[in-house]
Amino acid sequence: MGAVRKPVLVRMMIARMRRCAWLLTLTMIALTSCTGAHRSPDTIQVDIEGSPISTDPRFTTDILSSRINELVFDAMVRIDRNGQFVARLAESYERPTPTELVFHLRHDVHFSDGRPLTARDVKFTFDSILAPETGTPKRAGLSHLKSVSTPDDYTVVMTTDGPYAPALEFAMQTIVPDGTPLPARSSAIGPPGAGPFRMASFVRDESIVLERNPYFPAPANAPSTILFKVVPDPTVRALELTEGVSDFSENNIQPDVLPYLSKQPHLAISKSPGSSYRYLAFNFRDPYLRDVRVRRAIAYSIDRASIINSMMRGAARAATGLLAPENWAYDGNLPIYNYDPAKARQLLDEAGYPAGPDGMRRLRFVYKTTPEQSSLAQALQAMFKRVGITLEIRSNEFATFYSDIQKGNFDLTSLNWVGTNDPNHYYMIFDSKMTPPHGGFNRGYYTNPEMDRLVETGARTLDLSEREQIYAQVQRLAAEDLPYVSLWWDDTVVVMNRELHGFTPYPNGSLISLATLTLQGPGAAEPSE
Amino acid sequence: MTAPSRNPSLLIGVAIVIALIGTAILGPILFRVDPLAIDLANTLASPSLAHPFGCDALGRDVLARVLWGARLSLSISAAVVALSLIVGSLIGGAAALSGGRIDNLVMRGVDIVLAFPGILLAIALAAILGPGLLDLVIALTAMGWTGYARIVRGEVLTLREREYVLAAEALGARQSRILFRHLLPGIAGPLAVQATFGIGGIIGAEAALSFLGLGAMPPTPSWGNMLDAGRAFLLVAPHLTTAPGIAIGASILGFNLLGDGIAQAVGHRT
Amino acid sequence: MIAYVTRRLFALIPVALGVATLTFAIIHLVPGDPVIAMLGETAAPADVEGMRHQLGLDRPVLEQYFSYLGGLAVGDLGESISYRKPVSRIIAERYPATIELAAAGMLVALLIAFPLGIIAGSKPGGTGDIAAMGFAILGISVPHIYLGPLLMILFSLDLRWLPLTGRGGFSHLVLPAITLGTALAAIIARMLRQSLIGVRESDYMRTAISKGLSERAALIRHGLRNALTSVITIIGLQMGSLLSGTLITEMIFSWPGLGRLLISAIGARDYPTVEGCVLAFALTYVVVNMATDLIYALVDPRVRIS
Repeated sequence: MGAVRKPVLVRMMIARMRRCAWLLTLTMIALTSCTGAHRSPDTIQVDIEGSPISTDPRFTTDILSSRINELVFDAMVRIDRNGQFVARLAESYERPTPTELVFHLRHDVHFSDGRPLTARDVKFTFDSILAPETGTPKRAGLSHLKSVSTPDDYTVVMTTDGPYAPALEFAMQTIVPDGTPLPARSSAIGPPGAGPFRMASFVRDESIVLERNPYFPAPANAPSTILFKVVPDPTVRALELTEGVSDFSENNIQPDVLPYLSKQPHLAISKSPGSSYRYLAFNFRDPYLRDVRVRRAIAYSIDRASIINSMMRGAARAATGLLAPENWAYDGNLPIYNYDPAKARQLLDEAGYPAGPDGMRRLRFVYKTTPEQSSLAQALQAMFKRVGITLEIRSNEFATFYSDIQKGNFDLTSLNWVGTNDPNHYYMIFDSKMTPPHGGFNRGYYTNPEMDRLVETGARTLDLSEREQIYAQVQRLAAEDLPYVSLWWDDTVVVMNRELHGFTPYPNGSLISLATLTLQGPGAAEPSE
Repeated sequence: MTAPSRNPSLLIGVAIVIALIGTAILGPILFRVDPLAIDLANTLASPSLAHPFGCDALGRDVLARVLWGARLSLSISAAVVALSLIVGSLIGGAAALSGGRIDNLVMRGVDIVLAFPGILLAIALAAILGPGLLDLVIALTAMGWTGYARIVRGEVLTLREREYVLAAEALGARQSRILFRHLLPGIAGPLAVQATFGIGGIIGAEAALSFLGLGAMPPTPSWGNMLDAGRAFLLVAPHLTTAPGIAIGASILGFNLLGDGIAQAVGHRT
Repeated sequence: MIAYVTRRLFALIPVALGVATLTFAIIHLVPGDPVIAMLGETAAPADVEGMRHQLGLDRPVLEQYFSYLGGLAVGDLGESISYRKPVSRIIAERYPATIELAAAGMLVALLIAFPLGIIAGSKPGGTGDIAAMGFAILGISVPHIYLGPLLMILFSLDLRWLPLTGRGGFSHLVLPAITLGTALAAIIARMLRQSLIGVRESDYMRTAISKGLSERAALIRHGLRNALTSVITIIGLQMGSLLSGTLITEMIFSWPGLGRLLISAIGARDYPTVEGCVLAFALTYVVVNMATDLIYALVDPRVRIS
């Protein structure tokens, strides 16, 4: 290339660049002017905070996957919003012997690919989960299920390894078609289900699109498509609702932002009682925390009322225990620890819990890093300071946090239980045999022979009123002995576009009634305040 | 050297930096409000006489937190920049002076660190050491030293070829003497600029790490974690982010002007 | 030239090896367990052991390391523990989004930096200089985590010009690209200004002006080309912070890229995916730097490729 030609080339390039810049500006204006367009009227967008882990219901244990899978798959029985079992794929079920449950399936159910759903599919689903090589976390939950047999195409018999009260909960497992390969070899969108929707697309960390299952009756005026969009940032979720980009949000908007959203004319906010239980757990390997007076002192030093009123803007109820008032086994006649720092200090002294040179006791609180947890930790820190406890806080992402919990590298921690239904959950969290890694959630190594006796009897007692009495005692013992300090039950908070009608919030946060949502129509029962 | 009067960047820069350091030292002494005292009755309170910058989500005084945050943010930045500067200069200088294989090896090492996403390192250190200031400083230093190493190595290599250095070497001066007498003044300029940018970068990095839950641990206020915590309330309480935002802006402005001024004073063009 | 490129490509190998080793060491040192993350705490010990064996995690760490390197040597990144898919396939799905974002951020940086740098550098000390550099300082001083939501509120919520989040057409790219590119723009603009000032005082500029060219024309014709070399250098140097910036920007704008994959893989202790993502980031960095070196040589005839 000659030296003479270069400047010409450069000049041409500059001229071209200039043209490009103009073009760019024009396109930008053209493009930006059309972004105001609203979504297609047939699609509603639901913002979720993270990506579901699995689209195969044999594997789902995380909440987001379960919420979405409920819309795609169906189970033999389900829990309604009052915590009662309702028949779904089964038209009826009975318990002919203490160890057997018999389900009679409906004859008219189809998977979204047109295949009829039969007992074979049910048996396949359970057998697949129980096979160790499947490697699913759900296997542990079915440890009392001995076998699933199918006398005919529409009858399923579940046999347990002894009388097992919560056995009906096994039947809440959603069903995949016979022969569904393991996820390694299946597509990202997962197998077809017999629920109201089918998954049309799944892009991890981006979105999930659900379309109507053609074999499942839909209400008139119902949106044909639900777009679940993954929006990790809470501020952005609020912005999307404000702009009308997103139509629906449940339990993932910060309480402080709700007043702002309620001022938007197109948004309706509903708060209803929820069953998600937030608690403070102790590590019983610490000699001082083993003293019930120290645990009571800690319960007395927490000003729950102000936390709920200010930090949570009232979107929670002070909890008495794991079971919310909506649960059939709930007993509310329990000791309550109202904020009383003087009493807390007195109990700590009585227990002989020695203070350091600065006059303070030291405890380590570990938690998973989230803005809410961080606020709670700082509030607890300030409250504990008043009773002479320095709370050292240690926040980590989940895997590290969890490894700390497993190693017993904590004094206090806070987590929540979502969707507790059968009170047998008490067995999983408080029985002395249920410590990790032995298949349970007794992370604090709580040991109390009386508790063991009660929860083990409760699991094997089939008579409902007898069970109710057993769990009344469990609740009392838990409130007196304090393996957990009960904090609160989170409300179910729904922010929704006013064009949408007929959403029923569930205490456990289930999104199943997105299936019966309608777009216009009569202002069907607005959710209760 | 130019007279200070002809170097406005230096004057303004020095003034801002002194003001910042003064605020960090005196602020918490003069404005005696506990930055950790929560007051749940005052959550997200707007600015008022009692709380000139308002209150945060736990009802803590934002002004007190910004003042205390100045101490933390500035000292973290200073510590990280100082450590990075020392580590980077030593490694870069040693590489350039040894030359050959060692130089090659060190520069490969620099390449590896530069190419490595620091976020993994930050998460790992937080998990291993326990989150806190120590791992924050180590992580930021581990990510930050390479810039200094590159500058020092580059400058040493160029300056070594300069006539006066060659002459000094020919006259039999010791290497360390050459380094201090001749190379150091030449390197000071670019290093000063890198360091001042570094301070801004570190305040920003601390904010980014706070966003990922890896910044200064609550309840200790730093500008980064205040900005991150306040971000969630942009729609309802924008005043939470204004104060730390301005503080971050002012310090970056000050340190940049100071860096420019120093560069001009030592006659270095970057 | 070809020999040079080949040599540089070979130089990638030790860097890749170093990054792979460092990543392997770090992720295995971090507490946490991929099997527990996957099976949950209720899993029976026998199942945990079975899964560990199936994934090869029960082998000695050194053996795992060498088998990982062996896989790398033939281009096999292994299979993701949580997604049960080849890591290379997952990365191939996510990589374009991150590159799109990084490239757009770079473009924004250059589009802002050049006018600012030229205005400031052609008349240092003037009003234009002060305004441009004021903007540059502002650009550096606003962290991504703050700028992103601010831009959203301004351009999306208040003005309704641009969409909030997600990946889609050009309009989806604008806000994340500005968020990502502003800090870099400020750095490049400053660099450009400095080198233009340096060029102004050089002999050949004086010659050019004495030959009758206006100062600004001379500066743009001769100075800019010279300044370009320092801009290219700074682009290479800043590539690391640009790439880590994509990570934050992806989180804020729900952008489905590699950064979010990395974060979630770290959370799940999905070793092969973490290693694959880090390697992808590292190689991107190295290749971009190689490219800047090449461009540098092409732009500046004084630099010879040897």
